[in-house]
Amino acid sequence: MLSRVADNLYWFGRYLQRAENTARLINVNAILMLDLPRRMTLGWGPLIEIVGAESTFREHYEEATEENVVRFLIADPRNPGSIQSSVYNAREILRTVRDTMPRETWERVNDLYFYVQERGEAGIPRAQRQGVLSEVVNRTLLIYSVLTSNMSRDVGFQFLRIGTSLEQCDMTSRILDVRSTRLGREQSGPDLSPFENIIWMSVLRSLTAYQMYRKHMKARVNGAGVLRFLLQNREFPRSIMFCLSQVASTLPTLPESRKIERAIERIRALARDANIDALLKAEFGVPGLMDEIQIGLGELHEALAAAYFKAE
Amino acid sequence: MAFEWSQYQCENVYDELFERPGAPRPAAQQLLSYLKGISAKDLADRRLAADLAIKVMGITFTVYSEGKTLDRAWPFDMIPRVIARKEWERTERGLKQRVNALNHFIQDIYGDQKIVKDKIVPAEVLVDSVNFRPQCVGVQPKYGVWAHICGSDLVRDRDGTLYVLEDNLRVPSGVSYMLENRMVIKRVWPELFETSNILPVDDYPAQLYDTLAALSPRPGDQPKMVLLTPGIYNSAYFEHAYLAQQMGIELVEGTDLFVDDDDCVYMRTIYGPKRVDVIYRRIDDLFIDPEAFRPDSILGVKGLMRAWIRGKVGLANAPGAGVADDKVIYAYVPAMIKYYLDEEPILPNVPSFLCMDAKQRKHVLANLDKLVVKPANESGGYGMLIGPRASKEEREKFRGLIESNPRNYMAQPTLSLSTAPTITDEGVEPRHLDLRPFILSRGESTYVTTGGLTRVALVKGSLVVNSSQGGGSKDTWVVDLDEEAEPRPSQSQAQSQSSGGAR
Repeated sequence: MLSRVADNLYWFGRYLQRAENTARLINVNAILMLDLPRRMTLGWGPLIEIVGAESTFREHYEEATEENVVRFLIADPRNPGSIQSSVYNAREILRTVRDTMPRETWERVNDLYFYVQERGEAGIPRAQRQGVLSEVVNRTLLIYSVLTSNMSRDVGFQFLRIGTSLEQCDMTSRILDVRSTRLGREQSGPDLSPFENIIWMSVLRSLTAYQMYRKHMKARVNGAGVLRFLLQNREFPRSIMFCLSQVASTLPTLPESRKIERAIERIRALARDANIDALLKAEFGVPGLMDEIQIGLGELHEALAAAYFKAE
Repeated sequence: MAFEWSQYQCENVYDELFERPGAPRPAAQQLLSYLKGISAKDLADRRLAADLAIKVMGITFTVYSEGKTLDRAWPFDMIPRVIARKEWERTERGLKQRVNALNHFIQDIYGDQKIVKDKIVPAEVLVDSVNFRPQCVGVQPKYGVWAHICGSDLVRDRDGTLYVLEDNLRVPSGVSYMLENRMVIKRVWPELFETSNILPVDDYPAQLYDTLAALSPRPGDQPKMVLLTPGIYNSAYFEHAYLAQQMGIELVEGTDLFVDDDDCVYMRTIYGPKRVDVIYRRIDDLFIDPEAFRPDSILGVKGLMRAWIRGKVGLANAPGAGVADDKVIYAYVPAMIKYYLDEEPILPNVPSFLCMDAKQRKHVLANLDKLVVKPANESGGYGMLIGPRASKEEREKFRGLIESNPRNYMAQPTLSLSTAPTITDEGVEPRHLDLRPFILSRGESTYVTTGGLTRVALVKGSLVVNSSQGGGSKDTWVVDLDEEAEPRPSQSQAQSQSSGGAR
């Protein structure tokens, strides 16, 4: 496996996962807005924080209105993390590594690309948004399905998995970060507590975790439960622990790297040893932990790059 | 009725499917009567299916402009071009003969230059050839083969003679479109493949693989082979990725490779450096090695020539093979065939006038309004003058160009180019076309594609078939007529009857 190709497969996985996650995130926020009373100021701004694009957004837009935020996240080419940009990037990368993936992958990515090009704008107004975004999700799932069914579990596949798992880990920690910050902050202002559970529920929904949570936790939705589930659950595919196990499970098939193993172990320890109740009580407890996890993910990325992507 | 053949105009040209208006050629009979049974609605549905297939299969060619890559869908015509097997076999023999002679020529040019000493080819032709690489003098590639992959362009004139228009020996492209056209047409007219004996084309990737594998400097091993591409901005990138995928070899860019102190080529992998045995390079000579050629090239691999000359890596095509891909050298190919092989050329050249010869130049300058003038070393149909269609200013410009650099120009009579029925906005109309078969040489044997890539000028009356300039393509069928009388046993009677009474 060429280093450049490994790098590209990794990023292909990340971009694809990013497109899917962003589509889910927008859809869920729309539902959350409907459930909260008008005076609640949660709004659309947090979505920009979740994807970590505040400065880019401010450069191009005055206000975080629904239309602006949704446009920025779906169809704005100036946002490198928009669905359109992510799909575009995934497709451009795939061009350079087409020979390593089943031929159908290219056809399905083209489908997704043309769909986002042609229908992305239509997804901005509310009326059609749900439909367009669901279709984006469906088409990304189809790509995973082609890869899962038709691609040999060769090293290339492992790099794809590393990319998707790392991206998911990143997204899960970002959602927890922003949503919990908001909860902590708002508690001193207008009373959010009646709606706290609605917000925690939307965190679960953004990660398609609601049903699995209910099944697994056998409890009503509350902050401690959600945190525990998304940090430590070993069976739910979007939990931080699960994603890290995915990355770790690829390592035996790759040239050995102690640095990568250490980076994974560090994040795992953060998730495993977290004192959930203490975190929730402390000011900026959860966001603080999520920041540490993000730093850990950054180190993991650097370790991967040094070991495989920039290999001499 | 979508296809009303009685309306089809094909007087005063050679049409590939019709002998004369209303009279199909034997090889095209089945196709044409089948199409006649297709309704306009059915045709529109199949057109949609074809467009969708092309789009989703991602068959594109890349145009690079204003800092962006633009993918254009491959323009494809749904009516195939049909060639009878008998005629094709003769063409195939002619192409093998020609490429064989060309390889002898290149070997000779970088060796003793006997053909120059024997005054068959004048020395000044070589001295001024921009594709002659002094770095290759004395190199002995395996089997004496330099042009492992050749794409020759064939055109047919009004009287039906098939001429060789040029031989592409540097990095000929188009073969992936030949393969993809067949995939698309099978989706469009599956019924025809049940009833006609259309010879398959999909052997090419396997043949190419064998051709490359034979170049490995480490016989016995499973050779490690790569396709070296300039990258996604190259107009043929689609093809590079396609062929690498079809052959199951690595698609690499220059930065993925390096030449070590042992003169071997290595690729950078996640496991560390891995030795490379054979490189199918799709980068022009001048860019493959900044150490040997253009020092500013960022596409190539430093030291590649060194590795090749020392026999540590196989390169296809060999650097320097382009010396025979020159429109002036072209004029000497029939002489080469006689000189090296002692045979009569099976496929004729288009009569050519070399501007370096004073007498011929005089003729060219006096007949600029009738001739096609071509620069010796351009490809893609650029830098040409089509005399009968050019303005006076354009002709005068070429007069100046020829006089200041006669070696760089040659001229040919304007051929009328054969036509074939093509679907246009105005209905089915004749459009001019050519044919590019691909020839693989590996010393002991030579392989020719079954048919090749048919390129068609989609603009009415145009003779320019290049995709960068409004050209499209057709699937090319070599049809076996002898076997058609007896349907293959696997096909049921019911099938051949249900196909609209094709025979």
